[in-house]
Amino acid sequence: MANAELKLAPTAPVSFEQEYAIGKFLSMEARLLDEERYPDWLELLTEDIRYQIPVAISTYRRARQGSTTLKPLFIIDDGFPGLKQRADREATGLVWLNDPATRHLRIITNIEVETTDTPNEFLVRSKFMIFRGRRDKDIASHAGWREDILRQTPQGWRIARRVVHLIERVVMDKNLNMFF
Amino acid sequence: MKKFNYQELVDSEQALQKRSIFWDPAIYEEELKQIFNRCWLFLGHESQLPQPGDFIRTYMGEDDVIVVRGKDKVIRAFLNACTHRGNKVCQAEGGNTRSFTCSYHGWSFNTEGELAGVPLEKEIYDNLPRERFGLVPVARLDSYKGLLFGCFSESAPSLIDYLGDIAWYIDVVTDSAQGGLEVVGAPYKTEIPGNWKLPVENAIGDGYHVAWAHAGAMSVVGAIGNGRSDNVLGINANNTGVDQSGAIEIVMNTHTVLTTLDGQSGYALYDHPEPVLAHLERNRPNVIEKLGELRGRQLYGSETHIGVFPNVQIIQGLNFIRIIHPKGPGKFEVWTYAMCERGMPDATKEIIHDHVRQTFGPAGLLEGDDGDFVEAITHSAAGYATRQMQGFLGMGMGRKAPWDGPGEASPGLVNEACQRGFYNQWRRTMEADNAYGVIGQTAPVTPVTAVLKEFRHG
Ligand code: FES
Ligand SMILES: [Fe+2]
Repeated sequence: MANAELKLAPTAPVSFEQEYAIGKFLSMEARLLDEERYPDWLELLTEDIRYQIPVAISTYRRARQGSTTLKPLFIIDDGFPGLKQRADREATGLVWLNDPATRHLRIITNIEVETTDTPNEFLVRSKFMIFRGRRDKDIASHAGWREDILRQTPQGWRIARRVVHLIERVVMDKNLNMFF
Repeated sequence: MKKFNYQELVDSEQALQKRSIFWDPAIYEEELKQIFNRCWLFLGHESQLPQPGDFIRTYMGEDDVIVVRGKDKVIRAFLNACTHRGNKVCQAEGGNTRSFTCSYHGWSFNTEGELAGVPLEKEIYDNLPRERFGLVPVARLDSYKGLLFGCFSESAPSLIDYLGDIAWYIDVVTDSAQGGLEVVGAPYKTEIPGNWKLPVENAIGDGYHVAWAHAGAMSVVGAIGNGRSDNVLGINANNTGVDQSGAIEIVMNTHTVLTTLDGQSGYALYDHPEPVLAHLERNRPNVIEKLGELRGRQLYGSETHIGVFPNVQIIQGLNFIRIIHPKGPGKFEVWTYAMCERGMPDATKEIIHDHVRQTFGPAGLLEGDDGDFVEAITHSAAGYATRQMQGFLGMGMGRKAPWDGPGEASPGLVNEACQRGFYNQWRRTMEADNAYGVIGQTAPVTPVTAVLKEFRHG
């Protein structure tokens, strides 16, 4: 599809070191989540983070935005407090479906880094697959891509924005109580 | 001869339900015919279809249905099946269109359902009778104050008769809304591996599970999570005590309602209910004027779950409409639409939408818990021995609460009155010889002539 904003090359070069560090950071982040280390994960977010999962509404290609009542809809549209609330729920020990523990496995790949107008912020695109296994055979998987803004801070890399695009319209899982 | 021994499947006196009703494919087949092919089923809300050409796709039972506003402004519903060979004529979930064109051989149908175009028609057909090949309309379509319902049975009672007493409660949602009710045009959709009846009766009546099944969520959201109160809906934070006063479950002839009667606790699960509560109080005098003291003070603003048999719940407070679409005996889709008053300030609407997403969207903090036991109840019934077991819904049986509105009230939300009402209605519908029997009436002696009812807007 035509995309006016598509740029074939980054506006400014990204150093190998930066790209390498970003890749390592995303792998580490995914592992923290796989290991259910939610308080540690929260440390990787900026206070002003916006985290969104839009619904992939199935309209015809010719349908223009605003031409119908089908408005954008989000599965998650959280700032830091909302994400913390989700993490806090997991930490209560009262989420019965996670006991026995749910096993998560995240694969992050196809990482592309671009500079932005803000010198210490980078636009990072990645593809993911997330598998969750629970109990005997309760296994679900979700695939999609992410658009992140990562910020380089004195404390290290931080996630300032994340938009998660899922390929599924009807959520094929009992819930999406997981971080992507 | 009834197809099944219904006394064995649903024993109303003892409040027992045989668990095969969640598993047996033959029972499910019979449900599609007796329930989904005869009851009025919720299709959507008029606010989703403001313009000619606006359409949405939904399901009636397992039938794929297009609801569309024609060029003449009339809303109609059709089976989404090409009259040539049966391919779907529409694969989008909604939008605005001039026509529906089949992707197989290219027949196209206008928004009034007429066959409008046949590729190569002149060359390949001699006098194709186009009028015989329009999209198949859903036999009946009607609106109750903007809520659109369809019915496949031409001999069913009218929508208003089908709704009966529940209309009095629906009015609290529709008539109170400043500028009318508004739903967001696209719903959340989740497929869950369980039997469709379980999420329905859970939503309309299971107050018992809230504090326990949702314990994790309850300790971080709303009144308890934010330290405003040590109880929500009468149940305290540790699930060790319950206040059953001031809330009731109401069973009507066909449908059910659960409500907190306090005029504000619908917003108990909101993190920041203040703007919504302020709106309620600003609007309350209008509601009292329109609907009277009882509804204006005790129902408007309460957590109120309106269960319209078989599969739609209109939930005031949490503020969503939820439809459960059956997908075989062991699967369903849950569709959730946020609803608000059109005249609310945008910021207040946003709080409602945020809240629906946060609690009962696909990643909702509470929504996440329910699918699990719904699946387990369904799938454990695969076991022959387990399937012989019966579920028990005897809580609050025989307890009556004073109530001046329609229906029979039973005290408290931790009560299984609405769930009993649901299974009793399920049994009656399954056993009914005709569509009037569904609402407990006998069919008129002269059958109503089948009229194709079209609903004209405005
Ligand atoms: S099936 Fe639709 S045109 Fe042939
Ligand atoms: Fe629940």
